[in-house]
Amino acid sequence: MELNTYQQEAFDYQRSNIEKFGKKNLIWSIFFLLWIMVGGYALYLQISKGHVVTGMRDNVVWGLFIVNFIFFIGLSYAGAIIAGLLHLFKVSWGKPIIRLAQMMTLISVIVGPIFILLCVGRFDRLHHLFIYPRIQSPMTWDVLAIMTYFVGSILFLYMALIKDFAVYRDAKMNIPGWKQKLYKILAIGYRGAASQKRHLIISQNLLALIMIPLSIIVSSILSWIFGMTLRPGWHSTIFGPYFVLGALYSGCGVLIVAMWVYRKMYKLENYFTDKHFTNLGYCLMVLSAGYGYFTFSEYFTDWFGSAKWDSEVINKLFNPAQYGWWTLFANFFGIIIPILIVALPKTRKPNWIALASFFMVIALWVKRYLIIVPTLETPALPMQDTRIAYVKYSATWPEWALTFAGIATFLLFFTLMSKFVTVVPLSDLEDTNHHHAHHHEPVAIKTEEIQTA
Amino acid sequence: MKQVSIVKKLLQKLRSAAIPFVLLLLPVAIFAQADSAKKDAPAAKEEPSLITPSAEFTGIQKTGDSIQLKAVLKTKIKGSFIKLPLLKVKFLQVIDTATKELGFVITDQMGKAVLNFKVDPLTAGKDGKLHFKAVFTGNKSMEPAEEELTIKRARLEITAAKEDSVLNAKIKLVDLAADTPIKGTVVGIFVHRSFSLLKIGEGTTDDNGEATVEIPNSLPGDAKGNITLLAKLDENETFGNLEASVVQKWGIPVSDKLEDQPRALWSSHPPLWMLITFFILMGIVWGHYIVIVVQLFRLRKEEPHTATIANT
Repeated sequence: MELNTYQQEAFDYQRSNIEKFGKKNLIWSIFFLLWIMVGGYALYLQISKGHVVTGMRDNVVWGLFIVNFIFFIGLSYAGAIIAGLLHLFKVSWGKPIIRLAQMMTLISVIVGPIFILLCVGRFDRLHHLFIYPRIQSPMTWDVLAIMTYFVGSILFLYMALIKDFAVYRDAKMNIPGWKQKLYKILAIGYRGAASQKRHLIISQNLLALIMIPLSIIVSSILSWIFGMTLRPGWHSTIFGPYFVLGALYSGCGVLIVAMWVYRKMYKLENYFTDKHFTNLGYCLMVLSAGYGYFTFSEYFTDWFGSAKWDSEVINKLFNPAQYGWWTLFANFFGIIIPILIVALPKTRKPNWIALASFFMVIALWVKRYLIIVPTLETPALPMQDTRIAYVKYSATWPEWALTFAGIATFLLFFTLMSKFVTVVPLSDLEDTNHHHAHHHEPVAIKTEEIQTA
Repeated sequence: MKQVSIVKKLLQKLRSAAIPFVLLLLPVAIFAQADSAKKDAPAAKEEPSLITPSAEFTGIQKTGDSIQLKAVLKTKIKGSFIKLPLLKVKFLQVIDTATKELGFVITDQMGKAVLNFKVDPLTAGKDGKLHFKAVFTGNKSMEPAEEELTIKRARLEITAAKEDSVLNAKIKLVDLAADTPIKGTVVGIFVHRSFSLLKIGEGTTDDNGEATVEIPNSLPGDAKGNITLLAKLDENETFGNLEASVVQKWGIPVSDKLEDQPRALWSSHPPLWMLITFFILMGIVWGHYIVIVVQLFRLRKEEPHTATIANT
């Protein structure tokens, strides 16, 4: 596989990340594994003692697990849409970040559905979803859509990696034999021949083209699980686009945070430049405005309509004694702060944008909680003389342990993946930065130098 | 020497790695301890105690000297009753001092054993009473249980009569021992529905032991319009339970054939547009996937023989 000097430079700069696992990464990975083990113990308790160890009861049947599911699956859709758009519109500045977006797509679609499995009470009846599907049910749509989307995500990431696999295969890196063999298999004989390039570009374009509408449809289907029910706070016509926008928005935030972390960790300032943060920051601002508009529209319509149950949910959301402070947090850090940070030139800097994105991501997680739990705590059939625990949801430690185990799995996959492929893609990389114009000539950066740096 | 220092370094590393590991597992250990403490508690050896079952024994006198005996076996464990299935219950009739075995029945999942039989009127005592026993002889894990039942012989009759387009159920209640009508007793009239009995009226017997209850003419029947009318005397102090039934063509014929459901959101057949949209969408996406995978296979086939080696 031939690389131009800029691409070769990028490869030489990153090859040590693939060749060596590194102490820090090992410690991180062990830390994540331990969290996953704690989650495993919580899961053991949940299976052996039943869902009684969670805070979910007769009324609030969905809790943290579904919040996490929506959150992660939303990240995945965002990754697919961002990567698809950057690829289709041939956005040259976006090429270094496509890999991260695609990694986020695949990892999130693996982690997200795990939470559905955690929420299902009867594992032994899981296959009934396929044996007795009901085409009219949004649940069936969601199961089939996510499975279809999962296959697409794998293909999407793999397509983009084939050229790089060919590079790794030919690079004679200092890696174990099995890894070398795996690169060879995964490169599927790609040598950069004209006909091969044609097949690959057709496949990539086709897939990018299908992944964007697929993500939008699948995200809408997820929202319809809520929107199709007649519950207050859920039964809304804007839930489809609201979920799509919310997913895209939180995904954009996670992408910025991931970019910031890898930039620091692997010293990728030349590839994840200030320009990337500024450009993604602008995207963040536009999405934030759109998301804010939807949020206001949703709350305002429910509040103005004054329908009994809608009002009850709105009261819960804005009452400081109930969810008022969380609503304020979700909207302040989820809408106002990102806009301000990006709008002001002084704070339009990578660190500030990453910080705003980090809090925005947490705010959007809280927002998912506020969508699910207060509505379930407001049953259309009032319950009388019942235990407060049956109406009011409070997450238990096994739920939190499994939530953190999910986050640890997400981060562990990112760590492992960045040790298997370069975080900045090589083969399609273009030098769009004037500072690097002189780097078109071959530059010998040795692995040892990078490590000492 | 060098080897020793390497081993020392390795041990140091392991020690430093062990600290966060132990810290992380601390909550797990605490919870695990809570559980193991329970397990470690000295288990007092208790003598295996036998389960003490109790029996509920009832009987229903039906038309034509037929009697239905029903025994339900259950036991109380931790404050709630548990039905006892698969146990052998013997039904006996006590005639003077002798006992005659009527048969045995194995209890079902609800702990219920039901025996239907025709009684010999001559086996009744001078007072017209019949004495029965339901006996469970016990087994390795359960103690025996026994219950007695005394029924005074009586007959409940029901006949259907149509008078001036008014539908009536006529009831007659007779004390068989004295061969006299039973007066002033309330008898309920029911009609069989899909899952249970529907009470449609009741009547009090007069001096002749007779009562008349009007039957509505709008009851849905089976495909032929038949309805089953049932007269019931429940838990009478003297005569116990009595039943009599008659089938009459007084209902509105309702076909028991399941009607074809339309394609709808609520039925088992989805609307056509929904199916078509679903398959088109899935077809488009999976069609794309197939094309892409085919392209990948072609890419693999077209690998040039002279490989370009990267200039590393």
